[in-house]
Amino acid sequence: MTTEKKAVDRRSFMKGALATAAVFPLSSALAACAGNSNDSAKDTKGGGKVSESNPFGMADKSSVDAVIFDGGYGTDYVAFAAALMEKNHAGSSVKVSPTTKIAQELQPRFVGGNPPDLIDNSGENAIGFSTILDQVEDLKDVLDANTLEGTTIRDTLFGGVEEPGTYDGKLAALNYVLTVYAVWYSASLFEENSWTPPKTWDEAMALGAKAKAKNKYLFVWGKEAATYYQTLAIGSAIKEGGDEVRLALENLEADCWSHPAVQAVFTGMGEVVKAGYVKPGGAGTQFTAAQAQWSNNQDALLYPSGSWIENEMKDQTKPDFRMTGLAEMTVTADSSMPYAALHSASGEPFVIPSQGKNVAGGKELLRTMLSKEAATNFAKTKLAPTIVKGTVPADGFGSTALVSQNDLLSAAGSDVFTWKFVDLYGINADQLVIWNSFLAGKADVAALTSGLQKISDKIREDDSIKKIKVT
Amino acid sequence: MTDSAAVPTTDAAPVLRPIKARRRLTFDKVSFFVVFLGLPLSIFLVFVVWPFVQAFYYSMTDWSGFTPDMAFVGLRNYRTLLHDDIFVTAFWNNILLAVVVPLVTVVLSFVLATMVTVGGTTHGAARGIRNSNFYRVISFFPYTIPAIIIGILWGQMFDPSAGLLNGVLTKVGLDQFASFPWLGDTRTAMPASMFVIIWGFVGFYMVLFVAAIKGIPSDYYDAIRLDGAGRIRTAYSITIPLIRDNIQTAYIYLGILALDAFVYMQALNPGGGPDNSTLVMPQRLLNTAFSKGQFGLASAMGVVLALATLTFAAIVFSVNWLTGGREQKVKR
Repeated sequence: MTTEKKAVDRRSFMKGALATAAVFPLSSALAACAGNSNDSAKDTKGGGKVSESNPFGMADKSSVDAVIFDGGYGTDYVAFAAALMEKNHAGSSVKVSPTTKIAQELQPRFVGGNPPDLIDNSGENAIGFSTILDQVEDLKDVLDANTLEGTTIRDTLFGGVEEPGTYDGKLAALNYVLTVYAVWYSASLFEENSWTPPKTWDEAMALGAKAKAKNKYLFVWGKEAATYYQTLAIGSAIKEGGDEVRLALENLEADCWSHPAVQAVFTGMGEVVKAGYVKPGGAGTQFTAAQAQWSNNQDALLYPSGSWIENEMKDQTKPDFRMTGLAEMTVTADSSMPYAALHSASGEPFVIPSQGKNVAGGKELLRTMLSKEAATNFAKTKLAPTIVKGTVPADGFGSTALVSQNDLLSAAGSDVFTWKFVDLYGINADQLVIWNSFLAGKADVAALTSGLQKISDKIREDDSIKKIKVT
Repeated sequence: MTDSAAVPTTDAAPVLRPIKARRRLTFDKVSFFVVFLGLPLSIFLVFVVWPFVQAFYYSMTDWSGFTPDMAFVGLRNYRTLLHDDIFVTAFWNNILLAVVVPLVTVVLSFVLATMVTVGGTTHGAARGIRNSNFYRVISFFPYTIPAIIIGILWGQMFDPSAGLLNGVLTKVGLDQFASFPWLGDTRTAMPASMFVIIWGFVGFYMVLFVAAIKGIPSDYYDAIRLDGAGRIRTAYSITIPLIRDNIQTAYIYLGILALDAFVYMQALNPGGGPDNSTLVMPQRLLNTAFSKGQFGLASAMGVVLALATLTFAAIVFSVNWLTGGREQKVKR
């Protein structure tokens, strides 16, 4: 009687529970997506009076909504510019919202037609640029405008800073922070042992042997950052083989990874791996832990990374480390580009969606960020240069890494290059897998080449992905 | 028992009578229907059924996820998935998880539950091993830790250079484990990840089974003991048939968890592990949707995942039915 009733209840309860549980994974993954077709044509003019101090005609007493990636640089530098702007335009207000999940947070707002006025589209969860290219403003008019100090913005910036944000001739994003990609080492450790930083892969092999004698490794890597070695390899190959290597990779050409220069670099790296000069276990090590093995334990001598590394490892760097950068190795001494040539790109892409409520306000905030005052504040607090020239003093605010970035940039002169196919097509995650195997010694040069080629081929042959021709 | 038996008989007659005179819609009745049937049903439709239908529709479009417009492309996304070797790898990884994780977890927690309830001394009344209460509390601990913390915790334990595991192994003289990447080697990445999931759930399902076993009258155990049955025979002939439904529920929940497994895998190996050996479908889905901007394709992945989950549940139900689950129902 009572037991019988209970059994029935339990069964029907379980059926219901099962149905709910089975539905759960799908509904939770996509419940947030509402296909809302609301494309009201927005007037890009702000409705305010265009004047010297208001070049974009931002409406009086309007509010600006900025969503900023909260990564290594934080968001306080935008808040600084926002305060400056609120002072210049009395009555206007700026809301700076930090997030680490740019794509997840903004996807419904893009669909709903109410995106923010300024976005720092950066970090692991950035929106792939090819998806929003048609929905963002061309920022050329920002560069044509005057700075707060009264000169044309374009003239105050480093050369080539528009390149990374230009897609099909449209300046879709303005990258704010200048990043130098280099191989970093501790100047004090090298002096102590009278080692010289390697300029070719052969010299790197020789240094590896010396490191081994001291029970140290040449390189170390972490599983999420194995592709830092791809960045090093591509930079090295472009210096060796010239611009044709860059174009082949950028345009996903067939056999682009088999280019002799790329192969020579891979072979050089393969020898380093084979000789056991790479600290084993990287495929299972979290990347900041791996970086600390270099900056704190000094288990390894060199680490290839962008110049954010100093700020990122600030709390885990040995005292008197004297972090210094070294341009990518070349294969031979007579490479196509001079040794001093450098992979440098501006990062932190700021975009302004055309459908935003206050497009002019977004541009005005960006203009304020590019002022001398805001840019100097960034360099000083973040120990990294912005795209605005002349904000870093000779002592680099006491940072050796910042000084060496300046040195590398001035040595490179006009031989500065970058590439964007990895971010543009979002293939870093796929490439990570192969690089982890390669650095662990599980995959040889041939397997690395064919694996990377397969990823490039897959994108090239997929008609549903919009390709951008690079020249 | 006698008291409760007396109550229904007196109650039965008045309850039966008004059934004939129903169907008159009073305000009370209508409002009752609206509040207790209409409201939950509409919530269910809006928040459960509708997203389901919507996701299925999106899976047949080329929606990028960041625009209001999309074009209908039929089953093209599903064809793409079929030829996407990385997605197929992720699919089989999920299947492997759904086969191994529930099996090991259910067997382990069942054994533990038996030990702390009826697996003790064979003399006297049936009871658990000594200090069983202590073990019960201890083994429940992992379940109180959020999944993401479990992932991060074990990620540190497995760290090749500074991890506790390699530290212990090298201390006891197994020098080949110095810097061994447990999560970075194709041979060990998946088993190590499975271990973490199982570790987190054994305690919870043990407690679930303990509760079920406690519901079995102890007379049964006394009787089978008198007949001379040992522990294994007892478990096989008494415990399993009587907590069959609980085992089935546990199996299905664990299967659904294993077909997802997102949190654990994302914490342990966000990149999908060496040679994608620990990549699971939800990871691929997230990557496709948000970093590649292919929401249509990602929705198709979601549909495949849901179908796999439903199929899994169907298989578990039929196995239970075929191995005698139905007889038990008839007997009762």
